[in-house]
Amino acid sequence: MTTQAVNKKDSHKLGMRASENIYQTIICFLLALLAATMVLPFLYVIVISFTDASVYESGTFYLWPQKWSTEAYSLILKGQGFLNALKATVFITFVGTPINVIANAGLAYMLSKDDLPGRKMINRLVMFTMLFGAGMIPNFIIMRNLGLINSWFANILPSTCGAWTVMVMKSFFSELPRDLEEAAEIDGCGTFRMFVQIILPLSLAMLATFTLFAFVSYWNCYFSAIIYLTDTSKQPLQVYLSKIVLSTDISEVVDMDSDLKNKVPQEVMRMACLVVVVLPILVIYPFMQKYFAKGVMVGAVKG
Amino acid sequence: MTAIWEGLTSALGNFFSYIVVAVSALVLLYIILYVLFLKFRHDAAKRMRRYRLLYILGIPGMLILLLFNYLPMGSLFMAFEDYDPWKGLGASPFVGFKHFARLFADAKFYQMLRNTLTISLLSLVTFPAPIILALLLNEVRSSAFKKTIQTTVYLPHFLSWTIVVSLTFFLLSSEQGLVNKLIISMGGTKRAFLFDKSIIYLIIVIQGVWKGVGWGSIVYLAAIAGIDQGLYEAAKIDGANKFQSIIHITLPCILPTVAVMLILKMGSIISVDFEQVLLMTNALVKEKLDVFEVYIYENGVKSGSTEFSYTTAIGMFKSVISTILVLTTNRIVSSNGMKGII
Repeated sequence: MTTQAVNKKDSHKLGMRASENIYQTIICFLLALLAATMVLPFLYVIVISFTDASVYESGTFYLWPQKWSTEAYSLILKGQGFLNALKATVFITFVGTPINVIANAGLAYMLSKDDLPGRKMINRLVMFTMLFGAGMIPNFIIMRNLGLINSWFANILPSTCGAWTVMVMKSFFSELPRDLEEAAEIDGCGTFRMFVQIILPLSLAMLATFTLFAFVSYWNCYFSAIIYLTDTSKQPLQVYLSKIVLSTDISEVVDMDSDLKNKVPQEVMRMACLVVVVLPILVIYPFMQKYFAKGVMVGAVKG
Repeated sequence: MTAIWEGLTSALGNFFSYIVVAVSALVLLYIILYVLFLKFRHDAAKRMRRYRLLYILGIPGMLILLLFNYLPMGSLFMAFEDYDPWKGLGASPFVGFKHFARLFADAKFYQMLRNTLTISLLSLVTFPAPIILALLLNEVRSSAFKKTIQTTVYLPHFLSWTIVVSLTFFLLSSEQGLVNKLIISMGGTKRAFLFDKSIIYLIIVIQGVWKGVGWGSIVYLAAIAGIDQGLYEAAKIDGANKFQSIIHITLPCILPTVAVMLILKMGSIISVDFEQVLLMTNALVKEKLDVFEVYIYENGVKSGSTEFSYTTAIGMFKSVISTILVLTTNRIVSSNGMKGII
C-alpha cells in the first residue's frame, strides 16, 4: 500500500521532471537560435576573408576555407588609406578615453557631496542635457566657431561628458563609505589627494567599465567624423570601412597599386576590412563582460 | 570687449579663447555666489570655501557641458533669423517664425514626419523583445549556458552601425550576398533586398532588434533578480504553474522598470538612428528613408549647403517635440503611482 503510494508519487515527479526537461530544452533551443544569428554572420565573414580568390570565385560556399589566403589582409593593411584611418582612430580613442573618464569622474565626485552649495542647480543642468539637445546645426556652428573643424578633438570633446555617465558615477561615489574620507580628512588629506588616492582606487571596477564604454564609443565614432572631418585623410576607420563597403570600386579607397586590383575579389577585401575594424572590440569584449553584467547597470536603473 | 576677444583669439586661437572665457565665467560665478552667500547665509559660504578644490575637480566636466551642450542652445536663436555665417548670430536679420511657417507648409516635412513615425512605431512594436528575452534567460537552469548566451547577445550593442550595416550588405546584397547565393543554388531567382521599398523598414527594424535586444534585456534581468523569491514559493503552494507565476508575479514586479524604459523610448519616437538610416539609404529607397536627420545633414552640414536657419528650425522642432513627449509620458507614468525618471 505504502510502496504503491510512493511509486505513484515518484511517477508523478518523474512526469514533472520530463515536462520540465522539455520546457528547458525548448527555451535553450530558442536562446541558442538567437545567439546563432549573432555569431554566424561573423563566422561567415571571417571564413570568406581568409578564402583564396580562386575558391571564392568558383562560387561554392564552404564553412571552412578550402584554400587559405591572407592576401586580402595584406592588401588592406598596406594601403595608405587604412594607415591614415588607423592613425585617426587610435588618436581619437587613446586621447579621448582618459579625457572622458577624468572629466566625468571629477564632475560626478563633485556632485556626490550632498552639502555642496549649488549642487542641486548643477545637477539639474546636467540632467537637462539628457532631455534637450540643440541639434546638429548649432553644434556644427559652435564647432566651427571654436575652430575644431577637421580636428580630432571635434570627435572627442562633444561626447565626453554624458549626463547618464555622470549620474551613474555619482550614485556610485555617494555609496562609498564616508568614514574613510572623514578619517583621511582628519589626517590632513587634501581634496585632490583624496580623489586620486582614496576615491578612485575604491572605484576601480566602475572606472574600468566606463573606460571600456568610452573606448568602444570612440572606436565606433562615425557620425561626428562625417560631420566635423571634411578632410578625407583625417577620417577614422569607421568612415573608411563604410566607404569600402558602399563604393562599387574600392581600389581608390584602399589606395593600392592598380595591378593588384584584380588579384583579390572586392567582396573578400571588404570582409577583411570589416574583420580588422571589429577586431579590437572583439578582443576587449570579454574583459568588459566581466564588469558590466552587474553593479553598474543596476545602479543606473535605481539612480 | 571685442578688442579683448580679438587679442585673445590672435594669441591663443579660437578654441582656447573660448575655454579661457568659459573658465573665467565659471570662476566669476563662483566668486559672485560666494560673496552673496557670505552676506546672507554664512554656513553656505563656509561650505563653499571648504569645497573650493572640489569645484575645480568638476570644472572639466562643466566646461564641456557648457561649450558643447549649452553654447549650441544659444545658437538655436538662428532658427529665428536668416543666418549668414559671415555676419554671425548677432548681425543676421531677424525673421521671426518664417522658417517654422515654411516647415509646416512644406510637403517634404510631412513625408519626413511620416517616415520617422513609421520607423519609430515599427520599432516600438519590438519593445517587448528584450523583456521576453529576459524572461527566457531567467528560466534557464544551467548557469554556464545562460552566461554563454548572455555574452553572445550583448555583443552587438558594442558594434558600430557601420559594422552592422556592412554585415547586412554581405548577407543581402544582390550580387555577392549570401542569401542570394543560397537562393540561386536552390534554383531561385535573386532579389535586390536592399533596393526594395517594401521591405526596407523590415530590414531597419530587424537590425535594431539584433543590435539592441541583448543589451536591453540587462535592466529587466536586474529587475527580475530583485523580485522576492518568497512570492514564487507562495504561488507554487497555491498551485500556480510557471506561466501563471510569470504573468501574475514577474510582470507586475518589473512594471516600474518597463515604465522607465518606455519613457526613455518615447523621447526618441521623433528621431531615428541617423547613422543607420544614412548608411542604409540608396537612391531607390530614399523616399522611404527620408528623415529629418538626413535632411538636416544634407542641407545644413554637407559642403556647399546654405540652409542653416531652416535646418536649425527642423532640429529645434524635433528637440522640442521629443522633450514634450518625455515629459508627458513621465507625467502619465507618475500619475499612475509609479516612479518616473525626473
